[in-house]
Amino acid sequence: MTNDIHDQHIRTLGRQLADGSMNRREFVRFATLLGMAAPAAYAAAGLAAPTAARAQSMPKGGVLRIGTRVKEIKSPHTYSWGGYDSNISRQVLEYLTFTDEKGVTGPGLFEKWSVSPDLKTWTFNVRKGVKWHNGQEFTADHVIWNLKRVLDPEVGSSMIGLMKGYLLDDTTVNGKASTKIWDANAIEKVDDHTVRINCKLPQVAVPEHFFHYPMAIMHPDSKGVFQVGSVGTGPFTLTEFDLGKKAVLKAQKGYWGGDAFIDTMEQIDIGDDASAAIAALASKQLHGLVFADPGQYDALKALPHLAFYDVPTAETGVIRMRCDAKPFDNPKVRKAMRLAIDPEVVLKVALRGLGVTGDHHHCSPAHPDYAAIPPMKRDVAAAKKLLAEAGYANGISAEIIVPNDHAWFQTQAEACIEMWKEAGITIKLSPMPGAAYWDVWTKVPMGTTIWYHRPLSIMCLGLAYRTGVPWNESGYSNKEFDEILTQAEGTIDLAKRKELVAKLETIMQEDGPLVQPVFRSTFTFMDKRVKGFSMHPTNYMFGWKMGLEA
Amino acid sequence: MLRFAARRLASLLLTLVAASFLVFAVTEFSPSNVARKTLGPFALQNQVDILYEKLGLSDPLLVRYTRWAGVLLGLKADPLQDPALNLNFKDPRGDKYFGNFGYSTLYKAPVNDVIWSRLGATATLAGIAFAIIVPLSLALGVLAGMREGSALDRTISVFGIVSTSIPEFASGVFLVAIFVVVLGWLPGTSPLDPGSGWPIWSQLVLPVAVLVLYDAGYVVRMVRGSMAEVMNKGYVRTAFLKGLPMRTVVMRHALRNAMIAPFTVILLQINFLISGVVVTEMVFAYPGFGRMILDASLFGDIALIEAATLIALTIAIATQLVSDIGYALLNPQISLK
Repeated sequence: MTNDIHDQHIRTLGRQLADGSMNRREFVRFATLLGMAAPAAYAAAGLAAPTAARAQSMPKGGVLRIGTRVKEIKSPHTYSWGGYDSNISRQVLEYLTFTDEKGVTGPGLFEKWSVSPDLKTWTFNVRKGVKWHNGQEFTADHVIWNLKRVLDPEVGSSMIGLMKGYLLDDTTVNGKASTKIWDANAIEKVDDHTVRINCKLPQVAVPEHFFHYPMAIMHPDSKGVFQVGSVGTGPFTLTEFDLGKKAVLKAQKGYWGGDAFIDTMEQIDIGDDASAAIAALASKQLHGLVFADPGQYDALKALPHLAFYDVPTAETGVIRMRCDAKPFDNPKVRKAMRLAIDPEVVLKVALRGLGVTGDHHHCSPAHPDYAAIPPMKRDVAAAKKLLAEAGYANGISAEIIVPNDHAWFQTQAEACIEMWKEAGITIKLSPMPGAAYWDVWTKVPMGTTIWYHRPLSIMCLGLAYRTGVPWNESGYSNKEFDEILTQAEGTIDLAKRKELVAKLETIMQEDGPLVQPVFRSTFTFMDKRVKGFSMHPTNYMFGWKMGLEA
Repeated sequence: MLRFAARRLASLLLTLVAASFLVFAVTEFSPSNVARKTLGPFALQNQVDILYEKLGLSDPLLVRYTRWAGVLLGLKADPLQDPALNLNFKDPRGDKYFGNFGYSTLYKAPVNDVIWSRLGATATLAGIAFAIIVPLSLALGVLAGMREGSALDRTISVFGIVSTSIPEFASGVFLVAIFVVVLGWLPGTSPLDPGSGWPIWSQLVLPVAVLVLYDAGYVVRMVRGSMAEVMNKGYVRTAFLKGLPMRTVVMRHALRNAMIAPFTVILLQINFLISGVVVTEMVFAYPGFGRMILDASLFGDIALIEAATLIALTIAIATQLVSDIGYALLNPQISLK
């Protein structure tokens, strides 16, 4: 790994750490992302590496019972809701990289990596000594089979949406739009333990994409099917699966990362009713929940045997407006919508303070490339003035569609509706079943969309606001924004990148298609006997880190 | 009697055909797309389109309905199991057999693998609740109706009204607060899994209690009303006047006549207990039929909704048939033609 210190990017990071333009935590985050080993990065930053939970003091044995939804798990490469389905297979099937609770992406099945100065050629070293549960050695061929499979449009993996920008080209198959890998050599086997990714555009977040939940590494013989007894490289095997009821995972001896502390992990389906989860924890039927909802907070906080875990995230409910629908086609109207809102009120009412305020630009303080620009203060008079300038002196009326699967979305909308009223903006609230919303999420003139945590702010901006990308739900298009964003994606110098992000944030505030008052913290409750747990911003569970006191 | 049963059976079949078609037509108007829900919000539109085609969702309604009916009757192989589609749908029973409800797009499993264990779980819950509701409400209803206006009658009637008017989600939470949170005597959910340290029987106590509270109150009121009416009849007064003791009057003269009206009501409770217990199943995370129907409906899983509808309808019509026959046995004035 010492060679990496000489790497141009790492040197840039080192200089920024030395001159104080980057803090130590940010250094570790970026240095590991570029392939520096975590212990080396922590050492270079003068930080103590977090003690891995492999301490002698961890309790051994026991059955850990976690409350969740036990949904269909057969096809990891096409998972759609990471918090549920992937938490079962995650204990068996591993990922090429590992993004920890603090957003630091480090080695997984890839032991180390390096990147070319133009951020287009990534060379990954496959970890040696890793064995599949059937005793076979884990090699580069297995990695390549998985990567090619998720990028096959026939498979239907959402990895396509994530990697399309730098690994795929548009094409037409039987008269229908499709995608194909941009170059025959894009995913290249260098040797049995080295894989090279040749991107068509610079991309800084390749290692982070490898930790996206559908990118689970499966054995080629599985043909992409995960079930009881499936072969993986991970610390557990799935021994029992009863859809809608429970999944049982038994510790696998001889795991390359060291044996798990618990003997068994059970994931129990407790349905969607908030009170069922509370009742199950109260009667100690469960040791914890994958995640809890703000509506459960007070009741769970009152149970003395439970410990509270939370983590700030970039998860948010974006109130977005279609830029091609009246009256939101006028940027002045969109800005007026933002000016009429006090994010502090939304944070208090909708999230009970469990989060931080946002400044209507979708970049969160939880992102290392977040730039602190002046917050947008509530100014009703300015909002009214803008509406008048846009030709709406008597105010505007519209309808907001709110999916009902995130309880706090509705409260957020209600709080905003009351504040909008003062500026002459009349908005009608229309709730919709969560599942139905995904059919119309890019179409309705005004809606609230969940955007989960992503480790970098440029990832959020690139996915949601770049001209013409599939998830640009508001139809937003701004040439200047696109150019600065592309520049930021190819800029490793964090100080320079933050300057660019500040510009992007300002464009969002002035011209953007969104009202985005808050970021929520994700949180959960666990029995105090559970050790080694920490909340992951994307609600991922790692059974091998956890222990259970008798 | 046989002709009556045969006619009822024929009308059952007709109802099943009509209802199954209606379900197909109604889900047509639901604003969602199974392919989108299967792949999730992060899939690209062209990926959704590919799956939509594979699932055959672009065919006209009538084509999809006849295909579904053909698969159910075993006349056609289930097209979704075609390995060329790459959907990984495989039924160990084969792709062509009578009673093939098709493949659940929500659970990615044959409907027959999903539905029966859940129906069994709900039948257990319903069976225990029914076994308590019937004798309890008969006893209380008869006691109340025997002496209309007495203190006992008023007490029982008030209990009946109060317990029926508290919705299941509220009584569920009240009972959990008392017996789980404060006293710690019972488990708070019923996953029917003994691994949590709570035996299965203890997991059934609260859901059964909620159903009994909700349902018994109603049946008690029906029995009481019928009993009170019979007690005011001339032949009961005559029985009293000729000096018969209360016990004999009730047992020999009143009871059978008082049971005619509540008999139908009681049998109708079976329908409610099988397909109407969704709230109780949600509150206690009970892996039953009601919760499954809710999940399937929210997802738009047509194969599962159809199967559940047919099963629920069959149960409803069968109980109706039993109640009609029972009615005739209890009341000789009624004959079945």
